[in-house]
Amino acid sequence: MFSQKHKPSSKRQSTAHVGWLAVAMLLLVVVLQPALYSQEQPVIAIRGGTVLTMTGPPIPNGTVLIRGAKIEAVGAEVKIPKGATIVDATGKYVMPGIVDAMSYYGIRPYDLDDTSNPVTPENRAIQGFYPFGEFMRGKGGPIRSKDILDGGVTTIYIAPGDRQVIGGQGAVVKTAGKDFDSLILREPAAIDMTLGEPPKQAFRPERRSPATRMSIAGLIRKELVKAQEYDRTWSTYQAKPDEEKAKAEKPRRELGLEALVKLLHGEIPARVQADLVDDIRTAIRLAEEFGFALVLDSGVAAYKVRELLGAKKIPVVLGPTSHPFVSGGEGFDLDVYRMMDERNAALLSEAGVKIALASFARGLGNLASPITGKWLLLEAALATAYGLPDEEALKAVTINAAEILGVADRVGSLEPGKDADVIILDGPPLSVKTWVERVYVNGELVYSREAAKQGQ
Amino acid sequence: MELSKSLLLSSLALVLMAPAGLLAADANDSVALRGATVYTAVGPPIQNATILIEGGKITAVGTDVKIPAGIRVLDVTGKVIVPGMIDDHSHIGTYEFRDENEFPVPVGPEFRALDALNLEHPAWTDAVRGGVTTVVTGPGSGEHISGQSITIKTFGRSLPERILKEGGEVKMALSKRTLTNFSTIRDTFIKAREYMEAWRRYESGEKKGPPPKRDLGLEAMARVLKREDRVRAHVHFAHDILSLLKIKDEFGFDLTLEHSTEAYKVADEIAKRNVSAVVLPLALRIGFADELLEGNAVLQKAGVKIAMHTDHPVSQEKWLRFGAAISMRYGLPEEEALKAVTINPAQMARVSDRVGSIEKGKDADLVVFNGPWYEPKSRVAMVFVNGVLAYDRSQEEKSEEAQ
Repeated sequence: MFSQKHKPSSKRQSTAHVGWLAVAMLLLVVVLQPALYSQEQPVIAIRGGTVLTMTGPPIPNGTVLIRGAKIEAVGAEVKIPKGATIVDATGKYVMPGIVDAMSYYGIRPYDLDDTSNPVTPENRAIQGFYPFGEFMRGKGGPIRSKDILDGGVTTIYIAPGDRQVIGGQGAVVKTAGKDFDSLILREPAAIDMTLGEPPKQAFRPERRSPATRMSIAGLIRKELVKAQEYDRTWSTYQAKPDEEKAKAEKPRRELGLEALVKLLHGEIPARVQADLVDDIRTAIRLAEEFGFALVLDSGVAAYKVRELLGAKKIPVVLGPTSHPFVSGGEGFDLDVYRMMDERNAALLSEAGVKIALASFARGLGNLASPITGKWLLLEAALATAYGLPDEEALKAVTINAAEILGVADRVGSLEPGKDADVIILDGPPLSVKTWVERVYVNGELVYSREAAKQGQ
Repeated sequence: MELSKSLLLSSLALVLMAPAGLLAADANDSVALRGATVYTAVGPPIQNATILIEGGKITAVGTDVKIPAGIRVLDVTGKVIVPGMIDDHSHIGTYEFRDENEFPVPVGPEFRALDALNLEHPAWTDAVRGGVTTVVTGPGSGEHISGQSITIKTFGRSLPERILKEGGEVKMALSKRTLTNFSTIRDTFIKAREYMEAWRRYESGEKKGPPPKRDLGLEAMARVLKREDRVRAHVHFAHDILSLLKIKDEFGFDLTLEHSTEAYKVADEIAKRNVSAVVLPLALRIGFADELLEGNAVLQKAGVKIAMHTDHPVSQEKWLRFGAAISMRYGLPEEEALKAVTINPAQMARVSDRVGSIEKGKDADLVVFNGPWYEPKSRVAMVFVNGVLAYDRSQEEKSEEAQ
């Protein structure tokens, strides 16, 4: 391990050469220490690197001060407390952990997409989430998703799949933690829906609905109307005085409708996957009809309606620049292919649309695990080749993603008070030659390239 | 051979129209490119070089090239030029209507990708935009033996002009995960040997009577047995690779391993048989464990000739170079990474007399980058195919602005 545990008592200071004042100060420090370090919180100072905070300009030769699980200070002139573990990042880059705003990481393919039913808002992705490494192998202990931590990814959104119309509830989780529960940042974080071809292709061959786009929108409407009625039934019941309530019949609970009520109340947004312009318009129409917050997923043709998306402040989570066909598998849709434009991210960003670049990573066959999220910085770099400014590309995999996921109070930037999810890179973040050297999650060093190389 | 000629002739009538945007480019095939850093793929980089192109061919390359009067000069100072990139394993043009796998026929060496090639798909234009100028595209891996590939340029005025090599190669797949897979392939080679022997006896007069019946599939197999072309074998696992190498030992054909996921585990066995390998990763599409990604450097060090591939549409044709870039990240030297998308696949596909490097006498297939060729931040500025400016970013941007 690289980070030494902070031990205030191990300071060996000679008092022989200093006066009483110094002795008094030292005493004061000793007296105050239980208060300052009541939980023995380790302090880490990452200094000397170029600090990319994501909310301000780059800070050359900056310092990121971590106390315990939180960031305490960030800047060019941060005072480093005595006893802090110093991490020298001279010549390196320091930035917040990467946030992958859409992935299927940790969910085995057969746990995605319950295609026995196009509408299952009650299903929760978190219940298919397996962050313990390879199934039936390895040791227990703290959770470390090493295969994406090595790409600097510290927070991910996990979704229940994209072949159903309403697949269920997604979650935002971290990629390292002391146990399963400590990974969860937000759950449910959104309701996942899909428009267009994927649900059609899943159900139409079985001669079941939805066989058309009409039916896809119809199913969503029907379900949301049910949720509205469910909401009314429950609020009417809850509004009754206690004595009446005792007499009245308690409405039955419905887990799916409960989740959709959260959507209708604006507690969580809908993540609607839509690629073609007509599907994007349907998503917007439904959101306005029912008044829910919309996040557009994939959005291959989103640039075609960028003014509209900008005006309505609808954020877009784009698929990878190198392969934007997030749902198409190998035989992707020619209509979608024709809409593809590498400048999608740049054009949307220019029009004022908040964008995130996400991996949508899932396993492909038995040879690959869904770990391409670790190359998100390269996807961001690719977007810069087509006009997205570097700064916006980096935001698209950090703060923008965190904001879209509703977890920006915790992650996505280097700011005092936020979770200490910090990565150190050995070069500029948008180069193929750059490696993530260290990853801190909640102030803990959870990945070190050097240690990984030595097989630790 | 007879048949392939007649097919070529008939296809002469099929004059292909390149997309309008590309045709608008300068159709002149003589030009001098001056001032770039040129990576020839067969020697050290040449700073501030001039590449002279005349009649679609490279006629000179170096620092002291005399430019003949009347030749148009393009100043590309500060740019990087690499050979037009080559994808040795693609399904571009064949997958669109699911024409890449004839599942009902598990042994079909007679099938030819040319017969299923859709040149209207936008992926061809995209390939050019990504600097990929030649592809080996062919049948899938759903059968034991699936047919013959075509080696074709991604841009050109007509189909015959675009074709570098049609047919010849035989594609196999060691992926069925059944033992029948191997016995069927051995059995087919044995039949091909018998077929060759029957024809030899007939043609030498040893055996009188009517000629043996022609069998197009066995004809194709005979060609690879005579080493007139190679076998391309889809294979992932180390034990399958070894089994395949044993079949090669038995029948003595030239072999390229396709995908080669675990080839690094048996690198020496592959190297000592002079077998080349088309290797992963597939651009940025699929995440693999570090050991696999480091495997390319292991293979290269062991002396195995390697080439990258996209397996289009698994990953997209135009991002071929990222396979090489990712391999660099995992230890493959830069010059070897470049070879893996240029001269190596050219040699493996037996078209290196025409393409794969920037050398005098070769087709003028060139990619001009605005930065290092392997960086995602860099973008293709220009692409030449047979000396014709097939893609020009500045023109594309102008037309975009006009829209």
